[in-house]
Amino acid sequence: MLPIKPTLDDDGVMDFIASGLVVLESVIDERFNRCCDDLASGNCDAFIASDNFTYQVLLHPQVAGVARSLLGEDFLVPRGGHHHFFKEPHLGQTWHSDGLSGSGYDVFELQCYYYPHSVALADGPTMVLPGSHCRAVDREAIAHYGDIRGQVSLTVPAGTVVLTRYGIWHKAGPKTNDRARSMIKFSYHRTAAPQRDWLCDAAEIPAYRDRPRLPYATEVESYRDRVRRIRTWNWLCGIDQEVALRWERSQPVSELIKEGTP
Amino acid sequence: MHEAVKDWLTQCRDKLRTEAITAADLDRLSDLLAEPRQQILYLYAKSTNMRAPLASWALYDATQPQTPTLPSADPPYESVLAAVADGWRVVQFPIAKLYAYEGQDNDYLGYEFVLEKFA
Repeated sequence: MLPIKPTLDDDGVMDFIASGLVVLESVIDERFNRCCDDLASGNCDAFIASDNFTYQVLLHPQVAGVARSLLGEDFLVPRGGHHHFFKEPHLGQTWHSDGLSGSGYDVFELQCYYYPHSVALADGPTMVLPGSHCRAVDREAIAHYGDIRGQVSLTVPAGTVVLTRYGIWHKAGPKTNDRARSMIKFSYHRTAAPQRDWLCDAAEIPAYRDRPRLPYATEVESYRDRVRRIRTWNWLCGIDQEVALRWERSQPVSELIKEGTP
Repeated sequence: MHEAVKDWLTQCRDKLRTEAITAADLDRLSDLLAEPRQQILYLYAKSTNMRAPLASWALYDATQPQTPTLPSADPPYESVLAAVADGWRVVQFPIAKLYAYEGQDNDYLGYEFVLEKFA
């Protein structure tokens, strides 16, 4: 098998830094999606570690290409995971991040959701809050949150894989029907030191180009988001350093004087 | 005694002169005697200002069956002040000291107003 090639360019990586997720719709072959029809709910380590799942999903060029882009060479491929299965109507899970996650600005783990069947709004799709992946919170202390501006219900076609920065706020949304809804969750991990070795046109590392502010962020939070995004970009490029917001539309007085004044 | 119950008694006494009291009349009395139940509305404003736009919202309504409802992108009000104008009472204001200005990391959604209404 050929080495895994990165699929994201600078802009793709910058988008991920801001949102915390990459959505790959309908990338998994429909014949393999059907192999998941009878999968039992709960732990599915053996299924995920099987050759079929490994080559059809985990090492799929597009899925693994994103992992390679964001986690560097020789990333760890999951050998286990969990099948989240819902059939009966329910109120939905509460907003949470998984485990002891959310702090920092690095990218060591990509938590992924694979949907072998299409998911509609009434099926109780996974909901995510883009940009929440670096908010350090006690997961039980956000359980009373309801709708949030900018939340996304992952209503996706069959064969979709979503890769997220571990720590993103998510939940199973409210389910109002009896249709089976499957999501298989697993994680890739980094082993390599970060460097800018995704798809690059030029050797020079560009400055982070900021993305739009998040719909739910306050003014001060949007400034913090901007700093955090630059820190993550620098970290991924292997040039981790202190970050201060600069005024792009200003210039040092010494440069102006050198340019000469009339 | 509750004014509404007094009115009910007056009406029923009048009614008894010509006809019988029915189950519907008793149901109406039952409604009148029911204790009002608290509804709770969390509103997350983008600042401590009550006119600020909302970032998030959650209604906990004990008067309704707890059944799944689909998510919404539209807040129930434009602001906390608009909710107050619609009869909601603020029972908790955001406390500035809870929003420690330390470091550059984001955490919880701010600024949390808790409101109540009785139904």
